[in-house]
Amino acid sequence: MKRHFYLHKMVQYKWVWAFLFTQSLLHKITVCYAQRDTITNYYEVEHIELPKGLRAETGGMDFMPDGRLVACFHLGEVMTYHPKTKIWKKFAEGLHDPLGVVAISKTEILVMQRPELTRIKDTNADGVADVYETVTDDFGMSGNYHEFAFGPLKDKDGNLFIALNVASNGAGIRPEVRGQYDSLGRPGRMYSCVPYRGWVMKYNVKTKKLEPFASGFRSPNGLGFDAKGRLFVSDNQGDWRGTSPLYHVEKGKFYGHVSSLIWEDGFPDIDPLTLPVEKLDSMRTREVIAFPHTEIAHSVTQPLLDNTAGKFGPFAGQLFIGEMDYPRLVRLLMEEVGGQIQGACVAFGDGTGLLKGNNRLVFDKNGDLWIGHNDHGWVGDEGLSRIHWKGKVPLDIMAMNLTTDGFELTFSLPIDSKIASNPNLYKFQRYYYKYHQPYGSPKTDVADVSIKEVSVSPDGKKVSFKLAELKAGYVYDLKMGELKTLGGKLLMNRAIYYTLNKLKK
Amino acid sequence: MLRVVLALCLFCSFYAVAQSDTTITLQAITGLQYDLARFAVKPNQKVTIVFKNEDDMAHNLVFTLPDKRLSVVEAAIKMGDKGQAANYVPASSGVLAASKILIPNTTEKLSFTVPSVEGVYPYVCTYPGHGYVMYGAMYVTTKPLPPLATDTNIPPSLHGLERVVSSPHPFPLEYPLLYRTFMPDCSPAAIAVALSPTHSYCFDAGKCYLRYAWTGGFVDNTDHWKGNGNALGKIQGTIYFKDKVTYPLRVGKPDKLPEVDFKGYQLAQRLPTFQYAVDGVEVRETLKSLPNDKGLTRTFSFAKPTVTSLFFVTDPTDGINYKSSVGIWKNGTLSIPKGTAKFVITMTTAQQNHSTTHNH
Repeated sequence: MKRHFYLHKMVQYKWVWAFLFTQSLLHKITVCYAQRDTITNYYEVEHIELPKGLRAETGGMDFMPDGRLVACFHLGEVMTYHPKTKIWKKFAEGLHDPLGVVAISKTEILVMQRPELTRIKDTNADGVADVYETVTDDFGMSGNYHEFAFGPLKDKDGNLFIALNVASNGAGIRPEVRGQYDSLGRPGRMYSCVPYRGWVMKYNVKTKKLEPFASGFRSPNGLGFDAKGRLFVSDNQGDWRGTSPLYHVEKGKFYGHVSSLIWEDGFPDIDPLTLPVEKLDSMRTREVIAFPHTEIAHSVTQPLLDNTAGKFGPFAGQLFIGEMDYPRLVRLLMEEVGGQIQGACVAFGDGTGLLKGNNRLVFDKNGDLWIGHNDHGWVGDEGLSRIHWKGKVPLDIMAMNLTTDGFELTFSLPIDSKIASNPNLYKFQRYYYKYHQPYGSPKTDVADVSIKEVSVSPDGKKVSFKLAELKAGYVYDLKMGELKTLGGKLLMNRAIYYTLNKLKK
Repeated sequence: MLRVVLALCLFCSFYAVAQSDTTITLQAITGLQYDLARFAVKPNQKVTIVFKNEDDMAHNLVFTLPDKRLSVVEAAIKMGDKGQAANYVPASSGVLAASKILIPNTTEKLSFTVPSVEGVYPYVCTYPGHGYVMYGAMYVTTKPLPPLATDTNIPPSLHGLERVVSSPHPFPLEYPLLYRTFMPDCSPAAIAVALSPTHSYCFDAGKCYLRYAWTGGFVDNTDHWKGNGNALGKIQGTIYFKDKVTYPLRVGKPDKLPEVDFKGYQLAQRLPTFQYAVDGVEVRETLKSLPNDKGLTRTFSFAKPTVTSLFFVTDPTDGINYKSSVGIWKNGTLSIPKGTAKFVITMTTAQQNHSTTHNH
């Protein structure tokens, strides 16, 4: 585990070179590197020092109103960390694979653990929780290891959204299960043989009931709202998941992973896997963003709204999402087209020294983004990091909007239009991922899309493309050459991927 | 309130009787060891040892005076060919009591009165070669015992019985200790609780009842915590009680399985009190260890005095003697009258219990 403070990647290089070269040569190299515009001019990453004995497989993070971070970990601990004093303290223990925490007050939290959603309180003010109340355990457990439980996500009315993993045929089920077993949900690579596995559920604070909300999920390790309070849930590549997706989740809809259909009200007594794929395809709601596998992500995690009003840089109002296998986050650029949300994704944080295993995200009051890492069953890393914006605006893509005949990019800063108007600087490709039962999907029907026209707006902030062809149901993959501002700032991310579900009229 | 006082009195008298004599089950088990590394009795107490040989070799059980273990063991070796006929028990003043040589799967009872002098009285297998590793300690005392992990009167290999594991957490392990984890023979919503390093139980948070209890350690979650998490927690020690009736607490009729709803738990000095509803009756249950890990007390209390009859159903073959502070037993089922606010079930492992408890 690396837990250094990376002020600057160059500092590292400097130490290596120091052993090999003379001071004068070192000076020249450093100067040479310093001229190139890198992300470390804009963002820095601090790795938080952990308490001795903590296996920091982070399942959840939030901030208490008093500014303490509260985090839960795979071995069942809930710890608090005071960013000013850097003191770690135990708040609770003994939980079963907790994968999400919401702070209610400085003495009360909600934790989603494998068997239940739990309200945990310190009622005698000794700093350690003494009350563990079951908020809801009204969902099934087959005992299969893959039945993780995610959330909670609290809406403005106090309702709590949770998401329930399906089981994996990597293992069976236990002799005793919780909830009504249904053998019709048992076939398949990932299965739902007890109620509401593969569902997003809503705990209604008024009725105190857990309500089925939406079906069709596989491994929904990430729930978040956008600025308008719309619910987004991520999922992982696998069966019925050609590549990792993000869904805009609305009540009553089906999101494509098949097994969970058996818990749909009024669903016939059949194994849902026997339905034709065309039928299932017509029933499902597509992802708003498909994250091209290996291009940008392997396993996306929690989406988080940048609600810092500019304290974290120029991306306020956008969503970030974590990624397990790469040392990066992904930034989401969504728009509404014909009443539906769709949009693009672009990398964030490459080259900052961020670790892998970016499982949980939360902003503090100062606008720093805290990352909880996890490597449980994944490539990943362990630990906690904090990303701090240094105050200057990098050249990056602020929007990718669909037009009737192509796309329009908006940049954070005016770009050099001489460079940007060269069509040879851009390459569009399109492909899609199959909706089918096998695990994942290759890029399918891959084709280059020729650019008919490139134009740069007079203010230098927008570049528009007219494309030879636009088709719904494809990812549009744009790779760019080195775009710059007149002052020599470089475009930080030169690949962007737009999921086109609906054409613009 | 009167009922509670009455309950406490019953409870006290039970212990008063228990002090007069005691029965202890000691087993020879695989690996040249006894299943009990040590036990405590009081001066002048009458003790009955039920000695079982569960191993696949022959063993005996010899109690000696303090510090006489090695000399008795060596005297037994010197008996040579004549030893077998004398059960390898030498004619030594250091011998307090002795069993015969037991072949596998046989049992012998021996009774004696504990000396009046407090001290550590070893017990040992004097079968040639066994006595250097196969022994334990009978503490004749009324005081607490020293920590198992550093007790020089028991074989070093058994110090681990207490499982003084380094904490896997960023804080030391403190007892009582609780893990929600995957446990064998339980629904997937299991709670493992260590009342002490040597006495533990498994509460089913799905079905809302005690599934089993064991002595000798807690649970090893190493395999569950690593890899994909499919592995169950491993019980460290020996299970002495396993529920066979399912849902022992019943409402209205003794043969009607209830609907249950788990509500959580509260910790008082780390000791959990579970809260759940059984057919709508709100129950709080606290489990505590009996002295010397001989069983459990289970205190059930209700949000308000019960308005219908409750039943606590037990299985006569589960190896436990039950007592209750309230109600009437009939064929292993306790009837708890209306208006009960609280009752205490005392579960004592049958072999170690005195003969005065009732039931079944």
